[in-house]
Amino acid sequence: MNHTLKLTIQRVEGAVIRTLGLIERRGFSVTSINTASDEASPHMEMTLEIHSPQRSVETLARHVEKLFDVSDVHLIAAHAPAAPMKESVAC
Amino acid sequence: MKGAQLLVKALEQEGVETIFGYPGGAIMPVYDALTESPLRHILTRHEQGAVFAADAYARVTGRPGVCMATSGPGATNLVTGIANAFLDSVPIVAITGQVPTGLMGTDAFQEVDIFGMTMPIVKHSYLIRSVEDIPRIIGEAFHVAREGRPGPVLIDLPKDVANAETELAALFEMPRPGTGAADPAQLAAARQLIRSARRPVLYVGGGVGIAGAVPEFRAYAQASGIPVVATLKGLGAVPTRDPHFIGMLGMHGTVAANYTVQESDLLICVGARFDDRATGRLDGFAPNARVIHMDADAAEIGKLRQTDAALLGDLRTALPALPTDLSISDWQRTCRQRKTAHAWRYDAPGDGIYMPDMLRRISAADRDLTITCDVGQHQMWVAQHCQFDRPDQHLTSAGLGAMGFGVPAGIGALIANPGSRVLTVSGDGSIMMNIQELATLRRYDLPLKILLVDNASLGMVRQWQELFHNERYSEVDLSDNPDFVQVAKSFGIDAFRVTRRDEVDGAIERLLHAEDAILAHVCIDPTANVWPLVPPGQTNDVMMEEASA
Repeated sequence: MNHTLKLTIQRVEGAVIRTLGLIERRGFSVTSINTASDEASPHMEMTLEIHSPQRSVETLARHVEKLFDVSDVHLIAAHAPAAPMKESVAC
Repeated sequence: MKGAQLLVKALEQEGVETIFGYPGGAIMPVYDALTESPLRHILTRHEQGAVFAADAYARVTGRPGVCMATSGPGATNLVTGIANAFLDSVPIVAITGQVPTGLMGTDAFQEVDIFGMTMPIVKHSYLIRSVEDIPRIIGEAFHVAREGRPGPVLIDLPKDVANAETELAALFEMPRPGTGAADPAQLAAARQLIRSARRPVLYVGGGVGIAGAVPEFRAYAQASGIPVVATLKGLGAVPTRDPHFIGMLGMHGTVAANYTVQESDLLICVGARFDDRATGRLDGFAPNARVIHMDADAAEIGKLRQTDAALLGDLRTALPALPTDLSISDWQRTCRQRKTAHAWRYDAPGDGIYMPDMLRRISAADRDLTITCDVGQHQMWVAQHCQFDRPDQHLTSAGLGAMGFGVPAGIGALIANPGSRVLTVSGDGSIMMNIQELATLRRYDLPLKILLVDNASLGMVRQWQELFHNERYSEVDLSDNPDFVQVAKSFGIDAFRVTRRDEVDGAIERLLHAEDAILAHVCIDPTANVWPLVPPGQTNDVMMEEASA
């Protein structure tokens, strides 16, 4: 089941890769990306379909919101929030 | 004015007084500009020393620490320290030189994409493309580093931008928004949870010190009488001698603290993050407890444990709003009795040096001592057996667990607070990771006290191999260590060796009363272990203890 994240990000160096890197690093795979921007605008609209078998997409959305280059986050979650992680002992 | 001069001016305007760094080709314009600036530059002998020192400087002063390095290897040598600041929420600003913009992307000499390389471990980062952007970027960088949950910010400065001429002199003013207040509905829910709890526990982390909320936390703990347990970074949020303080929780926490948490019916998590070293196996952590989570970072809420009430925002306003009229005297008595029943014992047999006891004595002999740690067994013994009256008395690489932190952190702490007394507790493995910083101690005449705990091995790894790998020891023997006393002396630092228990009192006296830098090389039993220990993958009520105890 895919979740949808609609983001407004600043059109600055590194913003796209920073956002995508965070999403993958926090345990989500990206299955589709659409971006749209107006040359005159300092912002870019980005719509992502993302997937994770385990992780909470609400937690991910809060991580994305913290990025300095991200000005707006709109989440359309595919289902009820994922169960919290059971195994947390790193090593 | 050149870009480099503008950068230095912007740092001065931010109130920066000290920069830790190491020069090189691409950052030379900034080093040139420093010759005309009142900023004090501390030359370490490795860039990792600079970033760890800046980290400790920030932990002590509460202001962002600044470090600087050149492109390529200079920049990559900062990476471990940036990760350390990221995981421990420490505000630092790291400035790196970069090859000229025209050469970027051509594999030029000393070119590395440090902006791309550090993205996962910075709060934010900048690559300065235009000299006109320098004031804004410096202003934003310091703001981002310290606001909310602090963290590291990296600024990569290409050499042509540093050399570019600019008319710009007006400096950037960053707007400073206030911190928010907790949601009233969540606050009402939290108040109700606390009122109905019978076995509540305050689980305190490093966030209390970072938020400047130590007085409010102590006032609440005192007024409510709720027992307190702390994470590694939370030690000192209440004085560790306080009767309400039960102990550190987690893998090497106290028996009393872990049982207290496991039996609780309400966990009030204040500025902590349910790290795996604190919780053990997560689905068995405080299994019967409801959870109130108080934090500055919304992304921590529900990340690892579902919460029943979340109080975001400033701890200084949220804590005084919690109820204190509780009926928990039975629970308080149970916790106190258990703390007494499981109190540490220091009557180890033999005449070898028992490090927990030596650390306890040092800490008792100087209550104002700031202790920096390296990583491993000695780090856990410090957390268990030293007493802390303030969180910033205990500077430790908690989240990253980076060996080599101790000596540079001692340098940063002494530069931050020149009159203070600072002790670095290190191990024979850890100290070799930044041994070159002894030269920095000598250069700036910093009176750092170093307690080098030598078990001729990588003790914590050896302990795990003993317990969890059937005593198959692999690459942990360090019996060919150099003569550490001679090493220290060759750097111009006084040093002495201690091998017997009857020498301990004299060693403590000499260490604490030295006016200059001094190293005590303390040889201990190579088979000594850290107890108790929650085995990896187990819940915190499964604690291994010393067989003879």
